[in-house]
This record gives sequence, structure tokens and C-alpha cells, in this order.
Amino acid sequence: MITAAALCPAPPLLARELTGADPVIPELRQACHAAAAALVAGAPDLIAVVGAATQTRAWDPDTGLDLSPYAPALGIGSAGTARPAGGPATAGCDANAPAGAAPPLPLGLGSRLLDQAGYAGRRVLRSIGHDEPPEACAALGARLAGVGPRVALLVMADGSARRGVKAPGYLDPRSAPFDAEVERAIRAGDMTALLALGPGLARALLATGRPAWQVLAGAADGQRLASTIRYRGDPFGVAYLVASLTIPGQAIACFLR
Amino acid sequence: MTDATAGQARPRAHREPGALRLGQQEFPPGRPLIMGIVNRTPDSFFRPGVTWDEPSALERVHQIVAEGADIVDVGGIPAAPGAEVDVAEEIHRTAGFIAIVRDAYPEVVISVDTWRHETALAACQAGADLINDSWGGVDGRLAGVAAEFGAGLVCAHAGQQQPRTRPFRVAYADVMADVLEQTLRQAGRALAAGVPRDRIILDPAHDFGKNTWHSLDVTRRLAELTGTGWPVLVSLSNKDFVGETLNLPLEQRLAGTLAATSVCAWLGARIFRVHQVAESRHVVDMVASIRGDRPPARAVRGLA
Repeated sequence: MITAAALCPAPPLLARELTGADPVIPELRQACHAAAAALVAGAPDLIAVVGAATQTRAWDPDTGLDLSPYAPALGIGSAGTARPAGGPATAGCDANAPAGAAPPLPLGLGSRLLDQAGYAGRRVLRSIGHDEPPEACAALGARLAGVGPRVALLVMADGSARRGVKAPGYLDPRSAPFDAEVERAIRAGDMTALLALGPGLARALLATGRPAWQVLAGAADGQRLASTIRYRGDPFGVAYLVASLTIPGQAIACFLR
Repeated sequence: MTDATAGQARPRAHREPGALRLGQQEFPPGRPLIMGIVNRTPDSFFRPGVTWDEPSALERVHQIVAEGADIVDVGGIPAAPGAEVDVAEEIHRTAGFIAIVRDAYPEVVISVDTWRHETALAACQAGADLINDSWGGVDGRLAGVAAEFGAGLVCAHAGQQQPRTRPFRVAYADVMADVLEQTLRQAGRALAAGVPRDRIILDPAHDFGKNTWHSLDVTRRLAELTGTGWPVLVSLSNKDFVGETLNLPLEQRLAGTLAATSVCAWLGARIFRVHQVAESRHVVDMVASIRGDRPPARAVRGLA
């Protein structure tokens, strides 16, 4: 069962080195670091990083974030800028994950957040296909929750990218109510409501987080979660939401163990 | 120093590219520096006389520093032939003004544009950090002044030209080979005189002892000079090789200057001596980012 979850967006600019000299949005990164730190502080047996990608599959947790698709030759130059050092070695041991290939961006970013939080425990990285139906997403969540007694989830998911005329996907007026409903459900700890988000509408709104939210809903298995919103905003026309979610009573259960 | 000892000190070996020190500052490779020109002359070729009086010159310093100049280059004698400026007059034009700039800007690097050791001495006493000699080290005591004050020294290629003379039917078997030979020999002399290795700069000196074909070739082949590992300064700004190449008068040479600037920046030049600071700053920063030496100021497009 899950004991806690963290929700973070996964834009490339979450990687500090991609925004150039200007940190651009340090408050978003700080919120994500705080959410990851809270997750790690709960001392789970395993953290599963979940995010949407082209395929549903497991990824090697020891292969780090690859930013080269977004910034070729980052770190080259005569100044000899060193590439940022990798995080601590992970204790991934995911038998389902073929070694080698770098994980998709949301998983790479999430894995880096865990590194930055000093997490060296077991982790698994699971992508969920962009077009997986809600039931398949929920089923994956239930499977992840069943891996052990104390599983935590790091859910990398973004809202609509069509929140204004300057947004990447231009304005779609349906984006505001769509994202508002996601935020309402997260605030209320009402994960089941996330299962009602339609894949067609989410796709039309460039809301890439839909499958990952529904994995979270499946993992919560109907329980109402306590939530803390750490960041909400759409400074570039994409809805970002950072939240920490816990099972009420888990803190005590943890203490009693 | 005799020629014999100079010969022994020739650093034929390339040096490792490394930090360049000027004044109290250290500049890593990949950080392009803009040297803004401030002429204390009534008769320099570009906008003659505009900074002849001291208030105008100081105003010019304020402007170029605000526009991103890392180095302020103060000169008292035009490069072209003309009315004689003796040592006393050259010092009068430069040293007092350098002291004023030093007071106003404790951090900015100040260079003095001179070939004479007496002027360099007075300038260093007034606070100059760098001796910018475009005439190929004709004054054998110049390097000693740099060493005494811990100042930097520019080692330029002027062919066989004496100061303030124009090239007359100059010819080279291989102009870049001559540039390498002369500048590296001077660097060796400077080292032998005690100038710190990380304060020595090479300058191919476009137009100096060169026709337009020579200056174009030096530009095209600048990698041979930057490849030595020594920091390279280029002084391209509004020069005749730009004017002749484009058949344009002085006031229309900015685009050509910036094109040459961009090529030299791409090929690894580290200091750019310029009249138009703001435009040059944009060019060298842009090229530094294309090279991968400098991150964009702010990247969000497509990354949100």
C-alpha cells in the first residue's frame, strides 16, 4: 500500500541548467525539492517514480536524467564547464527494467529530485503511455502500491499547456475548468475524482499529466488523502501543481512500527 | 635585453589555455572581453576629437562601462602618421586621465595604448593594468615596465613597420607564419623580462603592416594564433581592411566590423578592442553561446 505521494510537474525547465543564467522559476524548483524531501523523510521501503511517456514500461533506476534531447552539447565549451555530477548510487534493483536507456524526461527529473533529496533507497521508474485508458492507469497504480507495505509515489504530471494565447498550445478555454477540477481533487485528497478525467479532452488540452494522475488514483485505492499544496501557477501557460499527499494516520503508524 | 637572450627565451611550445589575469581580475577561457577605446587625441581616425577634452572622455568611459566594456583602453597618439606627439605630451594626455578613471572605477581593467616605455611607466603609476602596444615591441624596455608593475602586455605583429607608419607594398611569404613568429618571440621576451605568463596577450594587429588581403588572411586563419594557447586580442573596429573589403566609408563599417568580430570570436579570440561597445558585446556574447562557452541569459522557449 502507499503511505505517501508527491506530485510535481515535469517541464524541461525544472532542470536548472536548461534555463541558462537566469533561474527563471526557482520557486517551482524549491517546491519540488520540498515535496521530494517530505517523501524521503517518510522513510518508505520503496519510491516509485511515475510519469507519462510514449510507452508503458519500467526503466533502469540507475540510469540518470538525459537532457541532451533538450539541450544538445550542454556543458561543452572552452571553459570546460563540468557536467553536473550524478546523484548518489541508487539501490534500484528493478528486475523488470532493462538496463541502459535513459528514462523519459518526467522520470529522469523525478529521479533527480530523489537524488537531490539524498534518497539512496529502493526506487523504480515506471512510464505510463500517453494514451492508456484510465482503467489501465489505475491498474498500474494498484500494482505499484502492492509491491510492499510502505510504498511512496513520486508522480510527475503537468496540467494543460493551453492556458493562454502565449501558451505553448495557444488558448483553449476548456483548460481553465479542466485544471481547476484537477486542483480541486488534489486539494480535497479525492483521488478517485481523477479517474473521471477523459483521455480525449486531456489530449486536446495538452494536459500530459493525465495518465500519471490516474496511476496515483489507482494506488490510493479509494482512500482520501491529506494534501498540502506547495506551488500552483502557470507562468508560461502550462499548469504546474506541486503537492504532498499522505494517508491520514500514516505518520502515527510509522511511529508505532 | 640583447637579441641573443631574447632568442633563447622563444616559447615555441604552445601554452595551455588558461585564465587571463588583468589587474585584480581573473578571466577564464571562453569569457570574451570587450576593450572599449577612449582616445585622448584631437585627430584619431574614428570620430576624431570627440573625447579630446577630459569631461567628454570621462563621459565616454561611463558609457562604455555601462554598455559592458571589461577593459578601458586609453590612448594619446593616433596610429596614423601626423603631428608629432612627444613623450611628455603623450603622458600628459593619458596618465592623469587614467588616474581619474582608476578612482571612478576601482575594478575595471584599464589599459594604456602606447609603444613607449616612459608612457607605460607613467600610466602604470596612475593605475593602468595592461600595456597595449600595437607596434610590435619596438621599445625594448616596455616589457620591463610591465614586469615591474605586474601589468599585462600585448604582443602585436606590425611586420617591419615603425610606429605611426603606413604599410608600403608589404609582402609576406606567409603572413600568419610571420604573425606567429613575431608575437611568440615577443611573448618569450616578455616572459624573460618577468611578465607573468597569464598576463601576456597576442595581437595579430589587423591593418598594421598589412594590406587588406593580409588582414583577411589573418582573420581567416586566426585559429592558428589562438591555437597557441595564448590569449588573443583582435582590433578590427572600423579599420581600413573592413572599409576596403566593403568599399564603405568610416561611418558605414559597423556591420563589417561585427562580421569580422564574430568570425574571430568563433575562432577563439578573447579580447576585442572596439569603438562600438554595446553592439560588440552582443556579438561576442552570442558567439560565446554558439560555441558553448556561455549559457543563454534566459531560456524558456519550448521548455515550459
